[in-house]
Amino acid sequence: MSRREGKSLQREAFERLKKNRAALGSLFAIIVISMIGVLAPWIAPHAFDEQYLDHVLEAPSSQFWLGTDSLGRDMLSRLIYGARISMAVGVITAVISLIIGTIYGAISGWFGGWVDSLLMRSVDILDSIPSIVLLILVKLVFDSFDIIGNPELKALTGMLLALSFTSWVSLARVVRGQVLQVKQMAYVESARAMGASALRMVGQHILPNILGPVIVLLTFQIPSNILYESFLSFLGLGLQPPYSSWGVLANDGWRSLTSYPHLMISPGVAIFITMLAFNLLGDGLRDAFDPQMRGR
Amino acid sequence: MIARVWGAIVAILFANVVLLSFFNYEIPTVLWWAFGLSTLGGAAVYVFTKGLTFYVLRRILEAIFTVFIIATLTFALLRVLPGGPFDSEKALAPEVMANLAKKYKLDEPLLKQYADYMVGLVQGDLGQSYKYISRDVSSILMESLPVSVQLGVYALIVSYLIGIPMGILAGWKPNSFLDFACMTFAISGVALPSFLMAPIFILIFVQYLGWFEPALWDGPAYYVLPSVILGIRPAAVIARLMRASVLEVIHSDYIRTAKAKGLSARKILFKHVLRNSLIPVLSLSGPLAAGILTGSFVIELIFAVPGVAKHLILGVTNRDYPMILGSTLIFSYILVIANLITDLLTAIVDPRVKMT
Amino acid sequence: MGKLRFISVLFAVVFAVTACTKKKSGSLEYGLDVKETLRINLNTEPPSLDWSKSSDTTSSMVEMNIMEGLITYNLADRDLSPAPALATEWKPSKKGKVWTFKIRKGVKWTDGVEFTAQHVIDGWERLLNPKTGAEYAYFLFPVKNARDYNAGKIKDFNQVGIRIVGDGDLEVELEKPLAFFPLMLTHHATFPIRKDVVEKHGDRWTDPANIVTLGPYKLKIWDHDRALVMERYDDYYGEKAKIKYIIGYMINEYSTALNLMQNGRLDFQQSLPYKELPLYRQNPGYRQTPLISMYYYGLNIRKPPFDNLKVRKAFAMAVDRKQITDLLAAGHAPLSGWVPAGMFGYENDVGTKFDPEAAAKLLDEAGYKDRSKFPRVTLAFNTNENHQRIAENVQAQIKKNLGVDIQIANEEWKVYLNRLRNDTPNMYRMGWLGDYPDPATFMELMTSYSENNYTGWKNQKYDELVSKGASELDKEKRRKIYYEAQKLLTEIEVPVIPIYSSVSHILLSDRVDNFPVNSIEYYQFKGVTFK
Repeated sequence: MSRREGKSLQREAFERLKKNRAALGSLFAIIVISMIGVLAPWIAPHAFDEQYLDHVLEAPSSQFWLGTDSLGRDMLSRLIYGARISMAVGVITAVISLIIGTIYGAISGWFGGWVDSLLMRSVDILDSIPSIVLLILVKLVFDSFDIIGNPELKALTGMLLALSFTSWVSLARVVRGQVLQVKQMAYVESARAMGASALRMVGQHILPNILGPVIVLLTFQIPSNILYESFLSFLGLGLQPPYSSWGVLANDGWRSLTSYPHLMISPGVAIFITMLAFNLLGDGLRDAFDPQMRGR
Repeated sequence: MIARVWGAIVAILFANVVLLSFFNYEIPTVLWWAFGLSTLGGAAVYVFTKGLTFYVLRRILEAIFTVFIIATLTFALLRVLPGGPFDSEKALAPEVMANLAKKYKLDEPLLKQYADYMVGLVQGDLGQSYKYISRDVSSILMESLPVSVQLGVYALIVSYLIGIPMGILAGWKPNSFLDFACMTFAISGVALPSFLMAPIFILIFVQYLGWFEPALWDGPAYYVLPSVILGIRPAAVIARLMRASVLEVIHSDYIRTAKAKGLSARKILFKHVLRNSLIPVLSLSGPLAAGILTGSFVIELIFAVPGVAKHLILGVTNRDYPMILGSTLIFSYILVIANLITDLLTAIVDPRVKMT
Repeated sequence: MGKLRFISVLFAVVFAVTACTKKKSGSLEYGLDVKETLRINLNTEPPSLDWSKSSDTTSSMVEMNIMEGLITYNLADRDLSPAPALATEWKPSKKGKVWTFKIRKGVKWTDGVEFTAQHVIDGWERLLNPKTGAEYAYFLFPVKNARDYNAGKIKDFNQVGIRIVGDGDLEVELEKPLAFFPLMLTHHATFPIRKDVVEKHGDRWTDPANIVTLGPYKLKIWDHDRALVMERYDDYYGEKAKIKYIIGYMINEYSTALNLMQNGRLDFQQSLPYKELPLYRQNPGYRQTPLISMYYYGLNIRKPPFDNLKVRKAFAMAVDRKQITDLLAAGHAPLSGWVPAGMFGYENDVGTKFDPEAAAKLLDEAGYKDRSKFPRVTLAFNTNENHQRIAENVQAQIKKNLGVDIQIANEEWKVYLNRLRNDTPNMYRMGWLGDYPDPATFMELMTSYSENNYTGWKNQKYDELVSKGASELDKEKRRKIYYEAQKLLTEIEVPVIPIYSSVSHILLSDRVDNFPVNSIEYYQFKGVTFK
């Protein structure tokens, strides 16, 4: 198997994916949600922070399609901007954890021996702290240091760092496993024997081969990050204004399901659809990349 | 054969303990002893006869080591965290602050505090809570742990009870309507944060139907909702895994052979498919336990369940260092042990698995 | 299938045998008759029932019903004047520097021992003893030498200004005259304590089996994290409690508690979400009452721009408090002075008035005609839905009325407190709940020596006024002194922007009657009846 074959493997996977209607639909939904997030300033009917003090906590109407919140802000606009923040949190943390995880896993897998055992033992230990405990403590620590120097961004950076900090472990494991596998393949061994540099080998042979599993893992990582973000909001450790995610909105609303259902339902539905889409897409991608391992 | 009888006995005793606790009966001490002895004793005999003694001992030692590392990490993290345990809306007079620091030995050098804590930990002393004045953290945790374990076990049972049948149904007839329905449920189960699911369930089952109680922890009517909500997410994970596993087994050679031999579908399902496809699900129990642990934070708060998770969350808000450390360690230890149990169980069920 | 049958039979046999044991069901009611039991929500597990050590509202709610101090509040009086409890009468001498308390005779603790003045001294010794580590030790700091004893500078408690005189009465000598000293003795920190009981049982003396009290109720059951039961104390010296039992549950989430209430499982819930108040207002069990509590923004005057008096004034004048209270719709009263509405010392006409034009002009004069040159200002608050609503509204108001963009930033509570002390934000939100119904508790807050004054504002004249007010026994003269001090604080110097004085909201079930509501959230259950 050469690099070219690695590519054709991906093409095959893509062909398989195209046949999966649920996954395609989900991909479409994700693209739509992302577009909503990106285009938020243009499509939101109101400014997300404009307070209509005469319209506090109103039910959906023709003026405010999804009603207003406790400060008289338009829920639809907040939801649209929330898409931006929620998706950004999900994607950025996934990317950061991907980078950390890949480097860590690749080093561990490539060097093997005591490096591998040391790195993997540390990962094991990190894994045996319940992730939520770690998340709470790390979030609080990051929150209390103003890394960027902008108090408005502080909670957001804290959230990104804390989520990345707790979610790279599984990526590191997968990458390491894949690297170990690929390393033993004949062509890599021969390339190694021919004196190819480690960096080149990783770039040329290993990365293309581990792309599939990593993409699959990422697709599952994003919704789980979004979920953890909403979870931290529930515990009062969420984002702070002006940045409000769906998690923040949902947390504002869940206590008043009977009194002001619109406060909970719209962010709830948004989270639900997004999670559904990412999970279906993830399933589809997994089937596509690894037909042997369907559903594992 | 002996193993099977033993398995049956443990299962019967376990089912009894669960049922009695669920219906709020006092569990007789005899039953506890029988259950504990048969489980531990059986496990010990199994481990010994299979030559796994060394392996298990090593794992346990590793677990202890891990817990110490976690204690160190958490200790460090807590001291980095700004805000002290006695900061409050009404700032205290410096004299009072000094007295408190002295009482809880917070005025000593950090290393000394750390050493003291570690020495205490070795002796099984987790220190006194700052918030719950004059109460030992270990006694607080010992009071709340059984409740958390109870909730966790119910949730685990719920997740298996829902997840496995659904996964089998979906995998047995792939791409049918049943498959679609089961999988839609499964994915919906992971798609909603539990703090959004809880109010919906309360609205339906408490306020409209009046079947259950909205909160507290005192009998079947109280146990059902929290356990179900906590169990739904893992149930969804199990259902998906089970489906994949069933699909894989169905397509394997020996099932094809069995079919060719003319065995009835039901027999194939129960005799071969079920047993073989359960293995990957079983091996997931460790991570599932972790997931349930995570979810229990939300559930315990919303349903006012007097468990450990609540103590951890409140401990963080109160900066009750000994409490946070204690509950983190308990959780970590449970996780480590759950993984060990999972590995052992998998090895029992699946002879192919080798342990080193 | 035979195997399966065998297993099920075995299971059934084991189950049948073991299920013969007693059932625990309904244990959360502890066998109490609902008709005789008031079911309340304590919100949390009481951190401690040791009244010298506890410092939170939950513990205090229980303690104030199982114990009593020398003095209690006259709940019938709106001003909550002091009323006799363990002391039958008291009088000041030396212009309020020395107070004598006549001790009630014939009061019995729950173990039958008669109450004496020595128990009060024991309680105070324990409170002030540095080894106790009592947070509320500062409550007795006005007593002569108490502070030094607490700091460990004086080892001999006999030097502290409390002693038994005459026929077992108490005499207390203060550091300086204090007009409201009797009111401080209503607080549970100053309650008598049974040294013998504490010494006998150590840390476990607050367990129901060990604890000894003398209030209208006694502790019956304390099932940690689940419930706490109080039972009427039949040998209570005063009028006996009407309802026999009180059971307190520990439910953190108000939405959960309200669900339980709706299901008829609770009779009393104290924290209600502002958002849903309009819905509860129609409920016959809804009670709303002014609190001796206020909400304010502090300004850090050490840093620009609030080192400039004109900027401070401009900000204070640019915030329409009415808009905030209307937005919260919780019944709070806009506040411009420093003493909450409805209590002695409240003044209607001190403080800055809302005047956007004048505010903008002041900001021009302060040298910020070009608003883009205005420094970055951060408005900080601790993470909480209501604080956020207020902060976001103030942010919008400042933007609208002054044309200045300010940033808002929230932090977790303890991180926030830490920040206030070490790196005070330009503007910060804070609140104050009075410890006793006297304006002094508010006025002390902004003195130069107060640990709670994070603004950096120190004013000698203000300190003098506050000190003078505290020792003035004449009510009318006191009012005038506090008026002047408030004017100095909120109108002339403006290191703070008062926002509103608070109200408390509670919800009762239909069957509860004669429930006392008052401005200090002292829920005295002994007079409560069922309809």
